[in-house]
Amino acid sequence: MKFTELKRSARKEILFSVAEDEGGALCVGTSEGKVVRTDPSGVDPDAVFQGEAHASYVTGLARAGSMLISGSYDRHLVWWDGAGSRQLFRKSAHDKWIRKVTVSPDGKTVATVADDMVCRLWDAGTGTLKAELRGHEPETPDHYPSMLFTCAFNPAGDLLATADKVGRIIVWNAATGAIAKSMDSPGMYTWDPIQRRHSIGGVRSLAFSPDGRTLVAGGIGKIGNIDHLAGNARLEVFDWASAKSLAVIETGQVKGLVNRMAFHPGGKWLLGAGGDNKGLHLLVNCGTWKLELEEPCAFHVHDFVLSPTADRYTAVGHQGICVQTIA
Amino acid sequence: MDDHPPSLCSASAHDISRRAFLSHSLAVGSGSLLGTTGAIHALDEDSVNAALKGTGKSVILLWLAGGPSQFETWDPKPGRSTGGPFAAIPTSVPGVHVSELMPKMARRMHKVTAIRSVNSRDAGHDTGAEMMLRGRKNEAALTYPDMGSILAKELGRADSRVPGYVSFYSQTEGRGSTRATPSFLGARYAPMILNDGLMPPNLARLSSITTEDHRERAQLRDLLSARFASNRNLETVRSHASAYARVHGLMSSESMFDIEQEPQWIRDRYGPSLFGQQALMARRMAEAGVPFIRVARAWWDSHGQNFETHQEMVPELDHVMATLMDDLEQRGMLESTLVIAMGEFGRTPAINPSLGRDHFAAAWSVAMFGTGLQQGAVYGTTDADGQTVTEGEVGAGEIFATVLAAVGVDPEKEYHVGSRPVPLVNPGIKPIRPLLA
Repeated sequence: MKFTELKRSARKEILFSVAEDEGGALCVGTSEGKVVRTDPSGVDPDAVFQGEAHASYVTGLARAGSMLISGSYDRHLVWWDGAGSRQLFRKSAHDKWIRKVTVSPDGKTVATVADDMVCRLWDAGTGTLKAELRGHEPETPDHYPSMLFTCAFNPAGDLLATADKVGRIIVWNAATGAIAKSMDSPGMYTWDPIQRRHSIGGVRSLAFSPDGRTLVAGGIGKIGNIDHLAGNARLEVFDWASAKSLAVIETGQVKGLVNRMAFHPGGKWLLGAGGDNKGLHLLVNCGTWKLELEEPCAFHVHDFVLSPTADRYTAVGHQGICVQTIA
Repeated sequence: MDDHPPSLCSASAHDISRRAFLSHSLAVGSGSLLGTTGAIHALDEDSVNAALKGTGKSVILLWLAGGPSQFETWDPKPGRSTGGPFAAIPTSVPGVHVSELMPKMARRMHKVTAIRSVNSRDAGHDTGAEMMLRGRKNEAALTYPDMGSILAKELGRADSRVPGYVSFYSQTEGRGSTRATPSFLGARYAPMILNDGLMPPNLARLSSITTEDHRERAQLRDLLSARFASNRNLETVRSHASAYARVHGLMSSESMFDIEQEPQWIRDRYGPSLFGQQALMARRMAEAGVPFIRVARAWWDSHGQNFETHQEMVPELDHVMATLMDDLEQRGMLESTLVIAMGEFGRTPAINPSLGRDHFAAAWSVAMFGTGLQQGAVYGTTDADGQTVTEGEVGAGEIFATVLAAVGVDPEKEYHVGSRPVPLVNPGIKPIRPLLA
């Protein structure tokens, strides 16, 4: 297996989120508070979605049918008409930064997580609040604000996993809001009680395997100097039903957070990407739970979309977009 | 020491427990730690102390080690590419905004003095800390005393039974680069360093010795010392006696270090964090007459994940500063106490690929409140992106001089090192007059 960079374009902003619209065009959420349809080659001009922009970084973007839903550190969600590139409606959704927006496989439910430590489920068509999932502690054991970084539906859409700064992972019944299982990945919590007395890690990404049995958490491992993201990228693999940890995988060559993960549709490998001051991407063999590839990439990756055929992915991040093949 | 010129001494900061303090003091008194340029007799201070008049003023320095971001605290730039993700919120001073991470201080801004135009010209941790804590760079042949030692000397009382300078620095990162030194002022003005816990180790009387035994031992020692000293006019003997007197003073101030003596509701106000508890200790010490207390909160050096670091640490700073302000005000101490919140520099306008901000000394902020200052004053401006100072540029020297002036110390005062006059600030450096009450 190897990664090959197909194309790359530079941006002046930081791109935090990405989704493809119904027609397959790339849309990104920016540090300028905008949602933009863009050409990853950088040839065609951007089309900025029309309507009131977000007031802060657009950190979540997902598609539900013909609509795109963006979420931001400004605590708001915005529904956009994908084809028309215009705003449909907006909602004040959380009390703190929204970290992630994802849509259920059937396209009917939007899940959002934020630093108010609540996961909210919304009707994807109307924006009506359907449920609030509360179970993550608002404070770390060291009395600082915790952060709820990520969420992911299982392929069947009946379960939703959420994960936070201290490494707590909760699997929820998406229909009832009940906790199906909870587990911990304490190695993701990088609290330094002696040298610097703060932390910057946490579980940044989650992914269910195609068969739904396995849940993988992505983040960063022990950091010697938490001034920087200078720790090995770290994954922990769980049999979520038993909450049993199956494997811990750490990089040796590249460092940083794993901000986004996706499984090969057939379950052959797991793709992860993120970085520190540089970018990283990696592939894990899902038969052995061993790293097959770990390499630097063009920039610190905040999000990516994997093509349906899983032969390429498009990454967005620190002032750039790039398309990589996986072969 | 302007009236009693000392010689150059290279005494460095050091941990002082009761026993360590005693042994060190005796060593200094016997000259074993002195440089070769002459005796300083750091503990033979009776004549100096007699000239000192305690001012009743104290300074609490909240030392934000590693360098917090001015964008995420006192000088937000929302909507700019350099501004980061946080919003700015209005404050109790019309037209003045601070980061949304500081809602408590925003409501108290009318009591704050903020300087947004600091260009300290040094973005290194060690050298930047030296600049901010001494107001200038050391010379090759002269190490300047730091702010705490100068204020311990200038604000301290001759008959004080409490230390002149206490420093809390519990995290290890950056501790070495801000190692305080009294330099030529001598060990009398070295800080008592409390890095582990809130109370000096070995301060309490041994349980195996009764109060009466302790008193009688001291009397016996005094008797023997007096007899020994009666026909000897030696500096070393006087230092020896002085050191014992100060240790007895420390032991008698044991209660000052005992945070358990604070009502639980006051401890709760300061919050559960170590920084909060140390700030409460600083208030106790100011109340007991300690002239200078430094509470270090490390480590703000957010090269990676600047925004999450500040999301974690600024609310703590906001809470501790606001609680300290309220507590001092309610005790009538704001008129006699100056609180400073600063680090060695600020953070870059540019956001790096790790979502971090790097070292930046060209345009950053310092905040203060308390005695001697104009309240609700915001001094200086930076450009729209926070890249440069556009108005009211000040350096470390001006900050240093302003602190001195605010507590009634003449920045133009001179000490003497040998025959050399050494002013408290470099010639030409003035306080920021518009900020002084």
